[in-house]
Amino acid sequence: MANLQLIDVSIRDGNQSLWGAVGLDTPQILSVAPLLDRVGFRALDYTSSTHMGIAVRHHAENPWERIRLTRDAMPNTPLQFIGTGLRFISWELASPEFMQLVYDRLVANGISRFVVLEPMHDIDAFLESARMIRRAGAGEIIAALTFTLSAIHDDEFYAALAGRLSQSPNIDRLYIKDPSGLLTCERARGLIPAIRARIGGMALELHSHCTIGLSSQSYVVAADLGVSVLQTALGPLANGGSLPDAERVVANLRELGHSVDVDDRLLAACARYFARLARAENLPFGTPQDFDAAYLRHQLAGGVLTTTRRQLAEIGLEHRFGDLMREVVQVRAELGYPIMVTPFPQMVVSQALFNLLGTERYANVSDQIIRYALGKFGRPSAPIESTVLERILGRGRADEIGREPGPPDLAQQRRQFPAGISDEEFLLRATMPAQQVDAMVAKGPACRRYNPATRPILKLLGALRGQPQVGDLVVEKPGFRLAMRRQGHG
Amino acid sequence: MDLTDDDVRAILRLLETSPFSDLELETPEFRLTLHRTETGWTRESATSRPAHVLPRATAPELAEAVIPAQVSPTQALEPRSDVVDVRTPLPGTFYRAPKPGAPPFVELGTQVGADTVVGIVETMKLMNSVYAGIAGRVAEICLGDASFARQGAVLMRIAADRA
Amino acid sequence: MILRRILIANRGEIAVRIMRTCERLGIETVLAASDADLESVAARRADHVIRLGPSPASASYLNVPAVIAAARAAAVDALHPGYGFLSENADLAHACAAAGIVFIGPTPPQLAAVGDKLRARAYAVAAALPVLPGGDVSSLDAAAVLAAHVGYPVLIKAVGGGGGRGMRQVGSPEGLSEALDLAIAEAAAAFGDPRVYLERYVASGRHIEVQILGDGQAVVHLGTRDCSIQRRYQKLIEEAPAPKLPRAVREHMQDAAASFGRHLAYRGLGTVEFLYDCLREEFYFLEMNARIQVEHPVTEGICGLDLVECQIRVAEGRPLGFTQRDVRFDGHAIECRINAEDWVRDFRPSPGRVTRAIFAVGEGIRVDTHIEPGAEVPPYYDSLMAKVIAHGRDRTQALERLSGALARCEIEGVSSTLSLQEALVGSPGFAAGGVTTDYFRRFLEDRPAAEHIG
Repeated sequence: MANLQLIDVSIRDGNQSLWGAVGLDTPQILSVAPLLDRVGFRALDYTSSTHMGIAVRHHAENPWERIRLTRDAMPNTPLQFIGTGLRFISWELASPEFMQLVYDRLVANGISRFVVLEPMHDIDAFLESARMIRRAGAGEIIAALTFTLSAIHDDEFYAALAGRLSQSPNIDRLYIKDPSGLLTCERARGLIPAIRARIGGMALELHSHCTIGLSSQSYVVAADLGVSVLQTALGPLANGGSLPDAERVVANLRELGHSVDVDDRLLAACARYFARLARAENLPFGTPQDFDAAYLRHQLAGGVLTTTRRQLAEIGLEHRFGDLMREVVQVRAELGYPIMVTPFPQMVVSQALFNLLGTERYANVSDQIIRYALGKFGRPSAPIESTVLERILGRGRADEIGREPGPPDLAQQRRQFPAGISDEEFLLRATMPAQQVDAMVAKGPACRRYNPATRPILKLLGALRGQPQVGDLVVEKPGFRLAMRRQGHG
Repeated sequence: MDLTDDDVRAILRLLETSPFSDLELETPEFRLTLHRTETGWTRESATSRPAHVLPRATAPELAEAVIPAQVSPTQALEPRSDVVDVRTPLPGTFYRAPKPGAPPFVELGTQVGADTVVGIVETMKLMNSVYAGIAGRVAEICLGDASFARQGAVLMRIAADRA
Repeated sequence: MILRRILIANRGEIAVRIMRTCERLGIETVLAASDADLESVAARRADHVIRLGPSPASASYLNVPAVIAAARAAAVDALHPGYGFLSENADLAHACAAAGIVFIGPTPPQLAAVGDKLRARAYAVAAALPVLPGGDVSSLDAAAVLAAHVGYPVLIKAVGGGGGRGMRQVGSPEGLSEALDLAIAEAAAAFGDPRVYLERYVASGRHIEVQILGDGQAVVHLGTRDCSIQRRYQKLIEEAPAPKLPRAVREHMQDAAASFGRHLAYRGLGTVEFLYDCLREEFYFLEMNARIQVEHPVTEGICGLDLVECQIRVAEGRPLGFTQRDVRFDGHAIECRINAEDWVRDFRPSPGRVTRAIFAVGEGIRVDTHIEPGAEVPPYYDSLMAKVIAHGRDRTQALERLSGALARCEIEGVSSTLSLQEALVGSPGFAAGGVTTDYFRRFLEDRPAAEHIG
């Protein structure tokens, strides 16, 4: 039987899937970091450019400082960064020199594991990103095989891609990344051996979301088929639209005779910490999901479906929902089967709506679709259907967008900002509104301590601040009693 | 719940500007009182949680490693050839008497036969009798009444009768 | 390696202190407690407790086989010896190694090197540190020659240990013989080792020490501490950094300490003690302590590190992870030890049950204690109940905060030295800073008897 390792995604993917990516700030992360470090995770899915932007925008916290402080608190566990090679924080394309600087600074501040992610599976883009990341000094580079269901994304597609990637000296391992949670046990039994047969012994990991409840079983199948690392989340940050619960995965693996070398006591302690944090901050707990057969067909997450129904209702077309879903499938195929992860589901649904409402299909197209067609998101996995491509690009707006200047020269960009600032600060100022970065700088060094137990007390005191007339007060519930008395009482 | 100095200071920062002069926080684990004086705040703490004492044989030198992997076979105590260990059949609570208040099954020096009941081990509400297993004299009683006997713990030793 | 479960082979406030860091790091704690401490605050805060043995220290905290047996029974992977007791005992360190348990401290050879005061002196000389004129003493004649060469007054000291035991000051050649005999007898009784040595006695001196931290290869210093307020060589007040020190002297002292550590390829926390001769503006190596010390909080206050965490990291085989350049000092910190002693009646120990324990809390204030209402101060061990530490942006603010904090503390049920500390901290000499080791004796003498009470 096999020995499996775990990657914990609570702080990044769990937080993003369930808590809108804003759920955890620096003190909350630092307070659990020493415990997470000792569990025995192979690495942490720790940050992404989205998360770094949110640290600044939402918490006025310095993401570079957060990485450094986490690294100091976690000497035993590598920290991972995930991102596409095209952009950093901003939605605008970045130049290769800019991205090289991003990778260099990430490594210097303490990131040692990098995911190379190209949802279009453009092999040249993969290899170029991996080269740049290696040049920056990364400890481990892992390439993502982003899983989806479509006419072209069959086992052979992934096996061939995996085979080519495994030959690059700049890629150390591979993982099946299933952001939509579409991988069934049955498919896994074909896909995993097909991939492993072509990667010459390179390690293969699995990362599959619990969206329709498939991953808790597919993980066990994967372990039997030679996947050596499973990506999981803890406590409230597991299940729902996030990844499987680590404690459950460990128990299942051991039940079937595999070994997982983690500190069970600390694994439970970390899960408990996130649970107490979730309760203290009124954040939702991920729950196991029901199987939904239709989801395997349209692949649109619940949130997108709800929004779409509402939009149709607003224009009195709710009865056309079925037609819309069929149009979505058609548009996706014509666009070369983009993987249905943000921003593509929204783009495809909007285009399907335009096609439904307009006089002709593709009479109206969004700027995003034009950019997609021009290849600004990367080269699509399959070619865009030629007549559709002609229709999208045959308009003035397409010419305008085509003429948009490419990403600025790095030296030129640098000159737009004060000379003495650090590379880290420059990278933030070049990609974010000045007042957000200024607010971050003004807030000063990060607070390092968070205790979920004191939050209710601090919130209560904060709420009472504007009420000088409040009298003595007692809060009592099982296992907890708080009493506060005014001057001169009792 | 554990409160560090930083946690208390975070609470104090808000208490300082509040109209309150006393805060009392109580959980099953501890009680903390913060009090405002003219010159600053004071705290009084009381830890309520009881100590969790690990079970051990009463004589330190008899403490074999609780987790067998820690002690290599050559380091385990070699019993004298004529003294036999009576080990617990299951982990659980060892009772020396059939019920509270009754006299114990055996004492030091009691003559026993192989089928003599020398104690009871209670595991998850099930009572298991412990038998001497050999004819002889009780030479040593290693675990007190109502103590927890871990897997494989030695309860007592019998000096075997010479054949 | 990752340590998961640590045996804390100590008691009182340092046991609670070590537990605090272990809790933060997620390391399970097992307290090894004598009978007198099985219900202590430390025992109730630990994850588990294991009985060490009967209350007397010799049967428990000073008993190497008992400590090792406890460590094995509790299946720990490491042992933290705290300070005092067996913390610098090479036998314990060896026994841990033999049992496959990580000893959180320096290596046995390092313990042996600095535990013998003469050997430590020789190492200091080899590392080019200044030492007081003096040397070892094998006979009365040799002592007389050496003392004449060094110049009276001289100080006779024990080779086998410190803390004031086996120490005798000699003012002139006439007193040498008797002082030698007494010192030898005291040393033998206290340490089981009758060897003594002698050094020049410095009349106007300050006890200044430097904290060092090493990982077996790199060594950094974490600044100075001034511990000159002492009664019979027992420290009462400590502060960091040492005030009123010429900059060059401070830098030389710090570099010398780090250099000494490097000379030993030191691993763990250590303190190099110096005697600073204020008149000559010269410093001399006295000894090195190879353990965490009571007064470590003042260093933590100014450099922002958790020293117990540093010990654990180094014990896990991790490199320091920072260089001397990364060490930043901020502000000033002062610590007062609060002992269960009746200082009015010649510091008679006052064991018993504490009925009331109120401590100050606030910005820049830290109290390390094992005392709560209902806690017992047993008669078998030292009398340290609490350490009140104040940090400020400078010495003035630290003093203000410390005074205010001491005034708000109350301990009832046993006698305490709180009021003594309040008076000391408020005394003009201490407020000015830079006092010598003589200060406390003069402070006591100068106070009218009536003021001592209440």
